[in-house]
Amino acid sequence: MKNTTQGRNRPRKMALALAVSAALAGVALPSGPALADETSCSPYTPLIKGQEDLVYVWTLGVKGVGDGSDKLVTVDVNPHSKTYGKIIHKLSLGGRGEVHHVGLSDDRRYLWGGALDSNKIYIFDIGTNPAKPKLTKTITNFVQKTGFVGPHSFIAMPGRMLITPLSNNKDHGGETGIAVYNNKGDYVAHHPMPKEGGGDGYGYDAGINPQKNVFLTSSFTGWNNYMMDLGKLVKDGEAMKRFGNTSVMWDMKTMKPLKVFQTPGAPLEVRWSWKPGDNWAVTTTALTSKIWVYKQDAKGEWQVKDVATIGDPVKIPLPVDISITNDGRGMWINTFMDGTTRYWDMSDPMQPKEVFTKKIGSQVNMVSQSYDGKRVYFTSSLLGNWDKKGKDDEQFLKMYHWDGKDLKLAFEIDFYKEKLGRAHHMKFQARDLSTLKPLESAQSPPALIARKP
Amino acid sequence: MKRLPCAFLMLWGLALPACERPGAPGNAPLGLAPPLGLPPVPLPPENPLTQARVELGRTLFMDRRLSHNNTLSCAMCHVPEQGFTSNELGTAIGLEGQSIRRNSPTVYNVAYVEQLFHDGREFSLENQVWGPLLAGNEMANPSIGYVIEKIKVLPEYTGRFESAFGGRGPDVLTVGQALAAYQRTLVSGNSRFDRWHYGKEQNALTAEEQAGFRLFAGKAGCSACHSIGGKFALFSDNGFHNTGIGYAKSMGQPGRHRVQLAPGVFAEVEDKALESFEPPQPDVGRYEVTLDPADTWAYRTPGLRNVALTSPYMHDGSFATLEAVVEFYDRGGIDNPQKSPHLRPLGLSAEEKAALVSFLKSLTGDNVPRLAAEARTAQPAETPPEKDPASTYRRNP
Repeated sequence: MKNTTQGRNRPRKMALALAVSAALAGVALPSGPALADETSCSPYTPLIKGQEDLVYVWTLGVKGVGDGSDKLVTVDVNPHSKTYGKIIHKLSLGGRGEVHHVGLSDDRRYLWGGALDSNKIYIFDIGTNPAKPKLTKTITNFVQKTGFVGPHSFIAMPGRMLITPLSNNKDHGGETGIAVYNNKGDYVAHHPMPKEGGGDGYGYDAGINPQKNVFLTSSFTGWNNYMMDLGKLVKDGEAMKRFGNTSVMWDMKTMKPLKVFQTPGAPLEVRWSWKPGDNWAVTTTALTSKIWVYKQDAKGEWQVKDVATIGDPVKIPLPVDISITNDGRGMWINTFMDGTTRYWDMSDPMQPKEVFTKKIGSQVNMVSQSYDGKRVYFTSSLLGNWDKKGKDDEQFLKMYHWDGKDLKLAFEIDFYKEKLGRAHHMKFQARDLSTLKPLESAQSPPALIARKP
Repeated sequence: MKRLPCAFLMLWGLALPACERPGAPGNAPLGLAPPLGLPPVPLPPENPLTQARVELGRTLFMDRRLSHNNTLSCAMCHVPEQGFTSNELGTAIGLEGQSIRRNSPTVYNVAYVEQLFHDGREFSLENQVWGPLLAGNEMANPSIGYVIEKIKVLPEYTGRFESAFGGRGPDVLTVGQALAAYQRTLVSGNSRFDRWHYGKEQNALTAEEQAGFRLFAGKAGCSACHSIGGKFALFSDNGFHNTGIGYAKSMGQPGRHRVQLAPGVFAEVEDKALESFEPPQPDVGRYEVTLDPADTWAYRTPGLRNVALTSPYMHDGSFATLEAVVEFYDRGGIDNPQKSPHLRPLGLSAEEKAALVSFLKSLTGDNVPRLAAEARTAQPAETPPEKDPASTYRRNP
């Protein structure tokens, strides 16, 4: 398969291209210590290597539960704290907009959160007082500026935020693009997902690899489907035809698509292995239950291969979030329908093996592990209308200790009992950000918040 | 149901209401000659078609801010490039993804529909527009007044109602009239069938399509409900019939569904596996309007013009292709006590079924690209009001 696209370019892309180019010239990822996300952050975001102090949980409001509004919930997760495992702050946004993912800025002092229905993008100050996030700006011009709907992922770039939406304002289908805003929250540029070279125009997540000057995007589905009840969706033959089947490798400087890959069945989260010397990315397809690995061949051309099957695809386990270890040797995969997390040995990424499974709840979506991989956090909500109904609609944050053999529950918070709503995306934060030194030069790796475990 | 007294667009001597300002730009009666195959557009005398009303209605139709949370316009379910329906959904979804039981009907030629919605519960376009605007699972506005107040605070509409309606601002009447005026212009005819049948262009249809027409009007009996007249064809009797689709959905036992996971990749999913999700919503069709048991699971006969563009089919969007529809009718529908007597097994051969489908595909009007492009000329802003209209409302002194 070879679906090389003819990328597009526009004059207005030049500003971003120059910014990225400048960043690439002066900034490089470290080639020494393993630089993980923890484990889904942009490589431009300083990391917390030791014990995280706080977890922010982007929470969907539910009609009839508490104030019914979306909110950012802050949980104290430092075991030495008196409020360990407790909610210490709630910031209600008023209304329900299908909040979904959050992303950290390039200095880790701001948290951007998107809403897939209202299309609002919220910017929170999490630097001034990390324990009490403050809403500093609400972007309401996303659709007006881009024509896209459903801002999903937020990936920090130098001075910029790369935003991947899911849909569009013409038909609420899956054709969409990528958008770039600056750190002030001002629009910079947008680009359509490719429809040439085998592209379907759909989008979802993005993972960037500055060392290779590339980023990889995946594809999901449009508003029509992600807002629909999952049971209704499965029975709607037309709707089920409208899922993304492609992923795209982009040139990060020029923002041009380099190559379209056929990865049928809704490829979702994108992660790069940051292990020194590694040169591969991974995703999973939600509907076809496959693990896909992207790697350069001997000629330097990017190729993709489905390397494993997750669970029993006939039963549609619906693999959702993944979390890769900082050395690229292991990966958590959650399967939503059976509420199970699965640990895969990725030592040989082309032949991964499932080595551990555990049922987390009646449903499970997001998984985030600490930098050292010893603490693994799970939340329950996938999408407001894809979550299960009735007794199976458990909404929680659960934290487990992982010793390499077993997960042991440390604490859990029932988000319904607390009158909060649906627990979705998580990001970690430290209370003391004074050591943050983002965007250092190649000679000096980006500073990490190096703290004692 | 009696039709509203009709004025006809071609009767330009029609007196305008006293409040009209005929001299105002865009307020002259709009010429809209019916295309070959269609009759003049029925017009209520109290809402004459003018350019100003049509353009205003088009903007309203395309404006996502007319839903409570600013995400859904009329055009998000009646997508101009998708036959003014949604090709991507069997049944629609509304505000915050709430389920809607039925397929979005096309609004092509909606001017000719006597009783609107699949169950015929509304009788004029002017009134019909308020149904989706206020339905809690569609655009979900809290009240009529809320919609009107919102329109008043959106800058794009400043002065436009007053200009189009003789000084009258947005209100329950003019909002309906503007939207109705635009929808009445979505007339689409002069198809290849029309040129062959009414225009007497002998080569406008292929031999197979002509054979399909003969089956349509003859052996297959389609025209018993999808009517064809001597001078024009609406392809609908504006009546309501039970084909068994609704019956089967309501009375059927749990089963399995063949689900596409990716192109060429399918799985069988049992209903039992979906018990954790929303159960199917009950739908007994026109009975919900008339409360007459004879109307149970009956739905309005849709017109067939542009039918090649308006998939999926039936009131619940359960058939993806015209081939599947023809197969269904060839089987005689689904038996049930209220099934239409028009439906019976047809015994069509494969060639005959193919001919019928070919004929149906000849019903596409000649102005489809233009109507879709015109819809996109309205580009209302996406920016919602800074403050909720309910917070800013003040009674006029």
